[in-house]
Amino acid sequence: MKAILLLVALLSPILGGIVYGIERKLKARMQNRMGPPLLQPFYDFFKLADKRALQIHSFHSLMGIAFFVAAWFAVFALLVGPNILVAVFLHVLALLFFTAGGFSVKSPYSVMGALRELAHILAAEPILVFAVIALYLTTGSWDIEGILSSGKVPLFEMPLLFAALVLTIPIVLKRSPFDISEAHQEIIGGAEIEYSGIFYEAVYTAKWLEYIFIGTLIFLFGGSNYLIGFLLVALTFLLVWLIDNSTTRLTVHHMMKFAWGVLLPLAAFNVFWIAIWR
Amino acid sequence: MTAFEIGVAILFPWIFALAIYLVNRHWFSVLLTVLNFFVLTAIGLHLWFSLHGALMFQPPHFVDWLILVYDYGLLLYFLKQGLDRKNPLVSVLALIQLLLLTWVVLIKPPSEVPNLYVDRLTVFMYLIVGFVGSMITVFATRYMLEEDPKREGEFVALLVWFLGVMNFIVSVNNIEWFFALFETTTLASYLLIRFRGDKISVNNALLALWMNQIGGITILLALLFAIHKYGITHFTQFSDHASLALFPLAFLGAAALVKGAQMPFHRWLLGAMVAPTPVSAILHSATMVKVAPYLILRLSPYIHGTLLAKLLIVFTGFVFVVTALLALNETHFKRILAYSTISLLALMMLAGAVGTPLAVTVSLMLIAFHAVAKALLFLEAGVLEKVYHAKTIYDIKHIINKAPFTVFFILVGFLSMTMVPFAMFVAKWLLISEMSELLSRASYTITVAILAIGGAILTVLYLKILGLTINRDEESFRVKLERLPLLFAAPNTLYVILILLATLFVNPLLVKLFGPVTGAVIGEVPPFCGQGLDVCIGNLKLPFWEILIAFFFVVFFPVIANYIHFKVDRTAEYTCGEPLRVRISTYNMVCLGKASPYFETIALALFLLVLIVGGGML
Repeated sequence: MKAILLLVALLSPILGGIVYGIERKLKARMQNRMGPPLLQPFYDFFKLADKRALQIHSFHSLMGIAFFVAAWFAVFALLVGPNILVAVFLHVLALLFFTAGGFSVKSPYSVMGALRELAHILAAEPILVFAVIALYLTTGSWDIEGILSSGKVPLFEMPLLFAALVLTIPIVLKRSPFDISEAHQEIIGGAEIEYSGIFYEAVYTAKWLEYIFIGTLIFLFGGSNYLIGFLLVALTFLLVWLIDNSTTRLTVHHMMKFAWGVLLPLAAFNVFWIAIWR
Repeated sequence: MTAFEIGVAILFPWIFALAIYLVNRHWFSVLLTVLNFFVLTAIGLHLWFSLHGALMFQPPHFVDWLILVYDYGLLLYFLKQGLDRKNPLVSVLALIQLLLLTWVVLIKPPSEVPNLYVDRLTVFMYLIVGFVGSMITVFATRYMLEEDPKREGEFVALLVWFLGVMNFIVSVNNIEWFFALFETTTLASYLLIRFRGDKISVNNALLALWMNQIGGITILLALLFAIHKYGITHFTQFSDHASLALFPLAFLGAAALVKGAQMPFHRWLLGAMVAPTPVSAILHSATMVKVAPYLILRLSPYIHGTLLAKLLIVFTGFVFVVTALLALNETHFKRILAYSTISLLALMMLAGAVGTPLAVTVSLMLIAFHAVAKALLFLEAGVLEKVYHAKTIYDIKHIINKAPFTVFFILVGFLSMTMVPFAMFVAKWLLISEMSELLSRASYTITVAILAIGGAILTVLYLKILGLTINRDEESFRVKLERLPLLFAAPNTLYVILILLATLFVNPLLVKLFGPVTGAVIGEVPPFCGQGLDVCIGNLKLPFWEILIAFFFVVFFPVIANYIHFKVDRTAEYTCGEPLRVRISTYNMVCLGKASPYFETIALALFLLVLIVGGGML
């Protein structure tokens, strides 16, 4: 199993790109369009690499690159490392570079996007931590191999928490109705606006890695039943894309109220209930 | 022999302080503070390696009388201050303490239990005071040159003396002595806060004075009860009684909450920032507020698992989250630091109140590394104030353009309190894991929620401030490292080096330093299983490669990012084609400030709950 996990970790940018391709295809079908080919993200990737490189300043460009590398490392730590809670915090570390990049330029859109990104962290991080705690509570293991071979299916004990986690995904992946920090029509992509060409490549690919990161967390709720795990991942992403297609953007206030007022109590209730029930 | 060294640790700062005060020359202050640093650190290290188990030590009998006389003098001074400044609260509280103290003296049984008790926890505190605290006094000598050179001797002497008081308070076993020193720290903070002598300084100093006196009263009440019911006059005697009423423990705990500036009493610490910055640095890092977690740790074995401990956890958990939220609302750099101190103190006390081996280890780690990080940040605040004339977070916008060095230090200071892989992150991670472990046995359920939420808020807080500092104009081809005065740069550099080394060598520190101290506190050590630099405690593993790679990201990357330059064309920021002059700002979350009165009311209710229900009065 270790070899498979390592392979997934190493190939995660490619796998993430494929997921993104599927997303674009499916979303197009939902809107009754043909949609781009499955490998369109990779065509985009090569085209971006070909473009003339432009930058604001090197510090900014380097922050973008650091975001990609740190996000990959977070995925790596999640899949290969001995503690998935640390991986969640490494994920925050990756976002630190993204926001630092956003803050480092004198662009109103970029800075506003970075500030909104902080609100995303504030909304999503506690729930991700709760998800990991829930996994530990049901399987008694902090590492991914232990969870995958625990003989338990965390979903059955943690349905409410899982629902909260699923509804957190739009916040983490910046999908409508919580695409607040990107908000293309409003702040034109937020913290990523000032990247271009080869430097945008890094940020672009880092976002693919987020699919793998969050997908793995979802998969773990299938525990040692991999079929359930795969089904969960497929249905969850389908649901997230469906929601993305059918809702309009809300504000930061809505997001915080929803995350802390609905999702967090839901997650906490489920965890506490299981803890005292046993 | 060891008794001699303890005497040195306690008395040397007092003597040095007196000498600095009398000579009042800059070079002499520098010399003596540096010497003090070496003496205290060396004594701490020496005691650490030579101490086996705990040492009980009885000073000559006349010291007892001396302290009693001193105590009356101190309280009379407080009374006089209250009368002079027309502050009835101060004088009434001093009067109550005078009466209670007299009552204690009247019913106090003769006791042969040694009055000094030095164990690993004490020496641990010596090390923090010696290393972290005395570096601040070195910094203060230079700071006062900019502030008011004539009063340098007085100021530095007060700070050095404070270190001596702190060393004394962590060594005492006699609760009456503890009270005397508790009030001495109050006196020291009172004198330091009103140092500038203007109206607002004096008012805030009086605020600190009356609030901290409440702590003194609760200690005396606890002592009275302990004497009356059990004949207990010393901390070590608590362990002789199997079933102890919670009343004295709750009231001692309440004193810790007041000293730790927990929520209904948080205003004195916020007010303390009107004083010169080294005062804040020393109050927040090595002395004063650290008495609070220290006291909770001393009580931890006796309150473990009781209703009192649980109420303390609820209360400190609430304060942890709420003060972190309020910090988001602040714009003043030092006020933000103050709120984050209150928040983290709550976390230390929470961990201490949980009282399992791992939680106590976490509490100790937080005490140590918070001291270093806050000392660093406050000294940086002093540098910002004196060199760059910046006080609010709006003044430090774009400061990376002229002070990359300072920004890097602030970055290390802030990130070390929250981000992987710093030692304080390790502590928080261990605490979340430990609480999850306890959760799976259905105890302390709510704490994981508190930790998850509070941690996220603090992360966002620090990133928000850092975001303002790193906003820059253009390529940093000529990054000129600013040149700071040696006495400004040296202490900060030492702190940064300490933080970075502690990050890499966190496992040896856990096994060799925090483990033994935990053993001294509760007689049990967490199940360490790490080899070399890999952290491993029970089923919790943090391998060194993760630490190292994350270390590279957080520490090296921001530095080398200033020196790598891509040879590509430069473009201007996108502003819809308009020649906008952009002024960068940030959120200040006004809505949270409005909630402050509600938070305080709830905190007061919880505090009373700790006293009344936790104290077994209901």
